[in-house]
Amino acid sequence: MNRVTISMCGLFLAVAALATPAVAQEDPAKKTQTAKTFWGVSAEKFEYRYSDSDEELAVIEGDAFYGTDGLKFRWLFEGEWEEAHNAWETLENQFVAQTPVSDFWDAKAGIRIDTPEGPDRVYGVLGLTGLAPYWFEVDTNLYVSDEGDASVDFEAEYELLITNYWIVSATFETLVAFSEDKEIGVGEGLNSTEVGVRLSYDLIDRAFSPYIGVVHERKYSDTADLARDSGGSTEDWFAVVGARISF
Amino acid sequence: MNRGFLIAILAGLMPLPLLAGEYDISVDRVQIDTGDFVKEGIGYNGASPGPVLRFKQGEEVTINVTNNLDEMTSVHWHGLILPFEQDGVPGISFPGIKPGETFTYQFPIVQAGTYWFHSHSGFQEPDGAFGAIVIEPEGREPYRYDREYVVQLTDKHPHSGDRIMRNLKMSADYYNRQQQTVGDFFAESGDKGFLSTLKDRMMWGDMRMMKADIEDVQGFTGLINGKGPEQNWTGLFEPGERVRLRFINSSAMTYFDVRIPGLEMTVVQADGNNVQPVNVDEFRIGVAETYDVIVRIKDEKAYTIFAESMGRSGYARGTLAPEEGMTAKVPDLRDAPLLTMADMGGHMDHGGMDHGDMNDDDMTGMDSGDMVMGAEMDHSAMGHGSMGHGSMGQGDGASLPEDPFYAQGSGLVPTASNGGKFLSYADLKAQSPLYEDREPTREIELRLTGNMERYEWSINGIKYEDADPIVLQYGERVRFKFVNETMMTHPMHLHGMWSILDVGEGKWNPLKHVISVSPATTVYMETEVDAPGEWAFHCHLSYHAAAGMFRKIVVEGGPDGTVAEGTKTGSQGGES
Amino acid sequence: MNPILKNALLPAMIVAISSGAYAAGNHAGGHHGGNAIGEPGNAGNVSRTVEVTMRDNYYAPESIHVQPGETIRFKVTNEGALVHEFNIGTADMHEAHQEEMQMMVEHGVLKGDHIDHDMMNMDMGNGHSMKHDDPNSVLMEPGESRDIIWKFTKATDLEFACNVPGHYQAGMYGDIKIDSTVAAKDRVEGESDSESVQ
Repeated sequence: MNRVTISMCGLFLAVAALATPAVAQEDPAKKTQTAKTFWGVSAEKFEYRYSDSDEELAVIEGDAFYGTDGLKFRWLFEGEWEEAHNAWETLENQFVAQTPVSDFWDAKAGIRIDTPEGPDRVYGVLGLTGLAPYWFEVDTNLYVSDEGDASVDFEAEYELLITNYWIVSATFETLVAFSEDKEIGVGEGLNSTEVGVRLSYDLIDRAFSPYIGVVHERKYSDTADLARDSGGSTEDWFAVVGARISF
Repeated sequence: MNRGFLIAILAGLMPLPLLAGEYDISVDRVQIDTGDFVKEGIGYNGASPGPVLRFKQGEEVTINVTNNLDEMTSVHWHGLILPFEQDGVPGISFPGIKPGETFTYQFPIVQAGTYWFHSHSGFQEPDGAFGAIVIEPEGREPYRYDREYVVQLTDKHPHSGDRIMRNLKMSADYYNRQQQTVGDFFAESGDKGFLSTLKDRMMWGDMRMMKADIEDVQGFTGLINGKGPEQNWTGLFEPGERVRLRFINSSAMTYFDVRIPGLEMTVVQADGNNVQPVNVDEFRIGVAETYDVIVRIKDEKAYTIFAESMGRSGYARGTLAPEEGMTAKVPDLRDAPLLTMADMGGHMDHGGMDHGDMNDDDMTGMDSGDMVMGAEMDHSAMGHGSMGHGSMGQGDGASLPEDPFYAQGSGLVPTASNGGKFLSYADLKAQSPLYEDREPTREIELRLTGNMERYEWSINGIKYEDADPIVLQYGERVRFKFVNETMMTHPMHLHGMWSILDVGEGKWNPLKHVISVSPATTVYMETEVDAPGEWAFHCHLSYHAAAGMFRKIVVEGGPDGTVAEGTKTGSQGGES
Repeated sequence: MNPILKNALLPAMIVAISSGAYAAGNHAGGHHGGNAIGEPGNAGNVSRTVEVTMRDNYYAPESIHVQPGETIRFKVTNEGALVHEFNIGTADMHEAHQEEMQMMVEHGVLKGDHIDHDMMNMDMGNGHSMKHDDPNSVLMEPGESRDIIWKFTKATDLEFACNVPGHYQAGMYGDIKIDSTVAAKDRVEGESDSESVQ
């Protein structure tokens, strides 16, 4: 772990210390009359992907949190299991602390550990997540790896209600790197985009919502070259089937 | 069954010179069957709702509450005037009742009327821990009726209270299934034009507010006295009788619009206090409020008691019938209302809003910014004459009956389904004032605030966990100014002391224990601070209170340990 | 109601009030023998005085027995804090009168605890006003006391009632039992026997 990551962890702890509420002990009703800590486990994506080049993937994006209005601890999990290689193409675990910074936005800080097939990486994470005007859910993060490479990702999602149970969600993700990390296939500049459209139905409350959809992935410039060099594709269309799950 | 038991106990104690009654209540895990689903819950004496406790004004009651749960519990006597140690709020009145423990409440009954009781611990109340209280006045009832029924409403949800709170925190619109859809967009485009509809959606989207955000928790089954619409609670009558119905809204979250098609209702009591009778076709009952109505039934046929939720996502139904098994038509739910820009008062002044953009239909009359309704809603300025007919309606609202307790042009203004009279707070006048009318000694402004997206609720922007108590002095008369800056309706409940709702009628202003404050309105209440000790004060929507819309009130001074008489001039409830 | 509509209808409603109110009085005295409620009585024929107290919102007593042909002086006192009426009629007549009283409230003539007499006596055009001056009824402010002398003609069930909006519905009425089989003397029932509440 290099210095940047260590300082990130320091920040993490500082945030944790700051946000720990200085509970006024004199009023016991603040305990009995207030619901203070909450938890949740969900998988925004839990899906099977089948590409136009017959590639098969299992994709999971999971999220578990515990905390208060003022401070949440979050474990974010992202994995792509590649059928052909019997291996995790992507395997990310993020552990972040999250705290509100405005009415609609939260700041995040923490650590991300990538342990896919191939070289591992550890990153410090600083992020912003929230709801933008016109109901766009936005999540963006700055990562600095133990190799000293920095990158930024950006995700946005918009939900269109066909009915109150049939929902189309459109997602857009992109990754931009400030420096190359050849080992893990990251080129400088715009790396990739992923655009998805999924039609879901809320079958059990919002706890289980099966969906089908289409996802388009594309790699750009240096990153595309790196992918080509290692025999990978630079553009894929996927048909997806899966479910949104929330406990 | 339980009632019989209680009466037996009461009868056994009758020979005592002092009017005193002893009552036993057990807090139990129960099954609640709504007809739509069966849910594990919490009840009293083995059932939810619990028993109807019948007290007599002047009685000294002793109530033994045995906790058969494996968690702490409490019983709060909602609306009763009593010593604060008996008020049943864990952490404020007392520590709570431990599992297996029996706690004995003891207090004098100083009032008459319809009230209720419920747990003040966790989400036991939404889970079913509530019952009704009926207090017979010392003198005669000032009304004449042949029989009476308690009609206790609730919004039973298939999820437990803990789970609902957690889901709301994860996603504030978790339970909202009335959100505007693509179909609504095109339907509205057809009516109002594509551009104007798009503009409207952009405006709301810009603020990240939802027009359909009226009921946080949908998906419930409305119950009357524990019975779902299919199970059809039925009250019997003989044709020609007057029947008193004691409506109690014990919902966690749901306001109901109540009507009995074919019958006019005469409202005679609100929150346990007699009001000058007012004839209505329909009324809205806020969470934790009570309204007593008398209906005069001439014909030998069945009538449906129909209680639609304010957001029209569900309903409770019962029947008044000459004999068991008779039913009447159950009306369809009316269309769900939508909030308008008028309901947005508080949101429009902080940042991001370009007022120039808002020359939309909804905005008629609001071109001077956002404070139009603030000014017009100022009830302090509301004399007898200022509420004259014709002075309110304008723009879209012209065809609606005016109600000064809603923002002008609000989407929430209720109308009676038969086009008749819908009860307004403005119609409520005390039948016999309890207190002398006097100038308040000071005013306290309480802004009702929140962040819907995060499901955080607060007062003056501060959640209970971060707030200092509100300190009042014994003997003062405090004027509370509620400014609702949110887009939700909040039923504010003060424990231990009466809330005198300012309807502009001076000494006839009615006494309540819950004051419902509509979005973007300012409502005043006054309180004679005549009860020493520490009291709870909160929004009675269960999940708003738990999220932080809650305060402790400390009354300093006053005679020790007694409920002082203050400036009371008469007795409460019935005639003396 | 739409305020504009309401104002437009006002004159028409005033006509309705006056004629409706008269109807009760005229019919009372007019149709000999065919009228149910009786007629204004002469002081000289009064056989007894019945004291009626009005409170918020009930009468004491709540039931009175009379004999056909008997003339009674009702001494009515409003001991309540609100305006109340004492009106002798059939249930249907009361119901009709309630609509008129509702209008008096809507037009500010009748307040909870007082009557706007100026407004009530105001000529609304066509010689009509919202006067409340029928012989079978008195409308009184708190503290007032007045007499009505009434002759009951026919054996039938009548009610005395307060038609201030909401009051009758809430039970502010009493029964007048006109019954020749019962000795009318001393048949004024007490205040306490009328409650049939469970």
